[in-house]
Amino acid sequence: MTQLFRNSPLPEGKKNAPLLPVPLSFDRGWLQELEQKLDKGGPWGDWRLTRLGIQGVQSGLVTSFDELQCLQHLTGLSPLPHQLDTAHKVLFEMSGRAILADEVGLGKTIEAGLVLKEYLVRGLVSKVLILVPASLVLQWVRELNAKFGISAVAQKKAYSWGNDIVVASMDTAKRDPHKEFLLANEYDMLIIDEAHKLKNKKSTNYLFVQQLRKKYCLLLTATPVQNDLGELFNLITLLKPGQLGNQGDFAANFVVDKRQPKNEGQLREELSKVMIRNRRGEGPVNFTKRKVRNIPLTLSAEEKDLYDSVTSFVRDQYQEAGGNLSSMLSLVTLQREVCSSRDAVFITLVNLIKKLPADSPKRDRMMTLLQTLRTVKKNTKADTALSLIQEMNEKVIVFTEYRATQEYLLQYFREHGLQCVTYSGGMNRGKKDWMMDLFRGRAQVMIATEAGGEGINLQFCHHMINFDLPWNPMRVEQRIGRVHRLGQQNDVIIYNLSTQGTIEEHILHLLHEKINMFEMVIGGLDVILERLEKKESLEKSLYKIMLESRSEEELRQELDHIGESFSELTQDVQQESGAVK
Amino acid sequence: MTLTPAQIRKQVMDYLEATECHIIEASPHHVTVKLSPRADQMLTDRPYYWGFVERTGAPPETLSFTFVFDPEQYDNQASAPAPPVMPFGLNSPVTSSGGPGLGRPAEIEAAAEPAAVPGGPTGDPKEGILARYFGIVPALPRIGPGMIRREDVIYGSRRLRQIWTAARDEGKYLYLFEDPGSRQRNTVFSAAYEPWLGVCYKVEMTCDLKREELHFIGISLTSGAIEDDFAVKLAARALIPRLPENVHIQPHELSPSAAAERIETHLTAYLATLDYNWAAEARERLRMELAIVDVYYKELLKDPDEEKRQATEEQYNRRRTETTWQYEPEIAVSAITCGLFHLRST
Repeated sequence: MTQLFRNSPLPEGKKNAPLLPVPLSFDRGWLQELEQKLDKGGPWGDWRLTRLGIQGVQSGLVTSFDELQCLQHLTGLSPLPHQLDTAHKVLFEMSGRAILADEVGLGKTIEAGLVLKEYLVRGLVSKVLILVPASLVLQWVRELNAKFGISAVAQKKAYSWGNDIVVASMDTAKRDPHKEFLLANEYDMLIIDEAHKLKNKKSTNYLFVQQLRKKYCLLLTATPVQNDLGELFNLITLLKPGQLGNQGDFAANFVVDKRQPKNEGQLREELSKVMIRNRRGEGPVNFTKRKVRNIPLTLSAEEKDLYDSVTSFVRDQYQEAGGNLSSMLSLVTLQREVCSSRDAVFITLVNLIKKLPADSPKRDRMMTLLQTLRTVKKNTKADTALSLIQEMNEKVIVFTEYRATQEYLLQYFREHGLQCVTYSGGMNRGKKDWMMDLFRGRAQVMIATEAGGEGINLQFCHHMINFDLPWNPMRVEQRIGRVHRLGQQNDVIIYNLSTQGTIEEHILHLLHEKINMFEMVIGGLDVILERLEKKESLEKSLYKIMLESRSEEELRQELDHIGESFSELTQDVQQESGAVK
Repeated sequence: MTLTPAQIRKQVMDYLEATECHIIEASPHHVTVKLSPRADQMLTDRPYYWGFVERTGAPPETLSFTFVFDPEQYDNQASAPAPPVMPFGLNSPVTSSGGPGLGRPAEIEAAAEPAAVPGGPTGDPKEGILARYFGIVPALPRIGPGMIRREDVIYGSRRLRQIWTAARDEGKYLYLFEDPGSRQRNTVFSAAYEPWLGVCYKVEMTCDLKREELHFIGISLTSGAIEDDFAVKLAARALIPRLPENVHIQPHELSPSAAAERIETHLTAYLATLDYNWAAEARERLRMELAIVDVYYKELLKDPDEEKRQATEEQYNRRRTETTWQYEPEIAVSAITCGLFHLRST
């Protein structure tokens, strides 16, 4: 195709017109390409496709500086009002650098996803790095893909870094050769989950994040202050150095004692510029209630006999060992297991016997215990659980601490015509998902040994039975959190099975009456525990009390004492977090 | 701006039609389609497969999909009791190997259950009656090599975005003529066509936030006249890729690059009339952020320890660069599509 040009093309035009107050750049690649095609006579595009392409661009056009656009691009996700508010604030008031510090269970991941999606839709972000604890990598990838249609990939090999949106574990990222690669790059957005791990400004994590080049940045943590206000200062300095002045100013202006702030109002205002903290039971987020039913049980004569003989055995051993706790752990377990099932005791006993030298005097005593075990023919707890489940005739999750009990219950419930599935920590991801699907569909009962870790969300079920209790409040909360979470429509009913006249009764008393574990969500439980456990873990203290107390009365007093220190700490923590709200 | 399922259906159907895909079955809620090689290459992300086909000359086997536009309606329809389904085209002669041609898609054969006798009593006429009686029945899930994947194509779905991007890439450069219809056939006079350069610009105004505008501008290469809303001018005409009979093109007075220069000047003049408060505000935010950073590091930079000071200085500079990167306002203009349009002179 020959073209006649009467005037020769002008020289390369000025790129920046002088009349604009903002630098303006024209991408002229198209003109070259067009001229080449004119020379060669094509190939040319299809007008129908062109129009379609323009419509596509038009529908994705960001027509306003200050409105969330991402919602129309999300399908099958309806964020809650506080999550939308948060996303809005991060974008339009905080310019994309913020600490998301919602309390557990309010959906920080959703908020971060919304912010990320919005920036992606606006074309302001394309390279993204998401650093999380190793156990959460896959969960993040799944959520971003499924809920937000964001093609995030998990970092597996060195070349994975080349992807636009990468989720990686902090521990991998901060090490060479990955570190070197990441520091040489620029990230439009950096997201860090469990950011309280950055509280120490001398740690490698902290220095690494400080060095990363990032435009927007989100730090996610449920506990912005764990031990002292300095941690919060470090976190904010990482995000926006100088926001709270330098360390000296901060200490002078806002800190009385490391846990007690001053000028609270002013501090709160400063914090609100960089941190958003939504709380449970506040604003529009309504969690359904938790209702607790404690079901006291009386052991059958044979069971009581077994319990008593195990108890005296354990106590004697403890005295013999001269109060050395660490060698006693498996024996304490034994005593707890008696309250759960015969099967659990049996397996532990057999394992203990196997480990003993053939001539050990303990051996005989343990064999006698095994004999006593044989006399126990039925499990009072399992009977009670069964009739409970049959009565409620709804989906229910049963938690136990022991695999052997889990197996036993599975057998027992099946014999009685209940549809059951199991769920335990050792299962691989695929099996876990499958079990959840079965439970959602056909099965009435799920028997689980594991509540922590990622991904069991059972909002469709609102009954749970604590067949036995963990002695760690955190694990109790995790159990409840499986069903009592966002999206739960009904009040959650928690049944605690407790055998009277055993240690179980006391532990339940502590957790329920003293700590009030079941009926309300304790804000900052992890912080409270961390402080309570300054010297030794709560579980260990409980073991000690159990082994050393000489009478029921003494046992009760010791436990009450723990309950009191717990309540005090709860009050402290609530006051402090009220200040940094 | 969001789109209804019907609008999305229209767009997807347009794409499938323009890329010459083979529609197996369609209803207001879904379409089952065997992609054309061209669409397959754009949509299925199988570069290795297409590389293999290209090098070996093997007959390409494209994928098929059921795109569902209204999942709810579609599922209702699917769950309603339906008579045995007769896949469209069951009656077509069944061959043992899928031919490379488009006319005889392989998965139809796969779809035909072994028990179904080709050319048997389930003929086309009966299917027509069934379809009329029961409405359109969704196809059975097909298993095996000709399996058809179901995908919900709704607003915001990845597939829809991909189709738009594919359409944009394929339709970026144009060379078109107005279709004179039958007018030019009955006259002895050749009609004069005026060449236009049309460019669809995307204007991105960026600071820590962003706003965009789309401008489809046309400029006559003979007169230099500029049309701000070129899309409207084009919408009124039918456009074809070949020079029609009995038509002549007026000579160009302007080269495309000179014309481009003029539209850029024109667009810049328009942009100058906009409100730039957003940029002033962004600069103010930037100034404040930088001030905070400066104050914070001022003390730290006094550290007597040389090594420490250097590290701090590095950090300081990095933080300043990051902040500017985050807030600095700018406008970038790029072309979505462009081309020469030959339109009847008026």
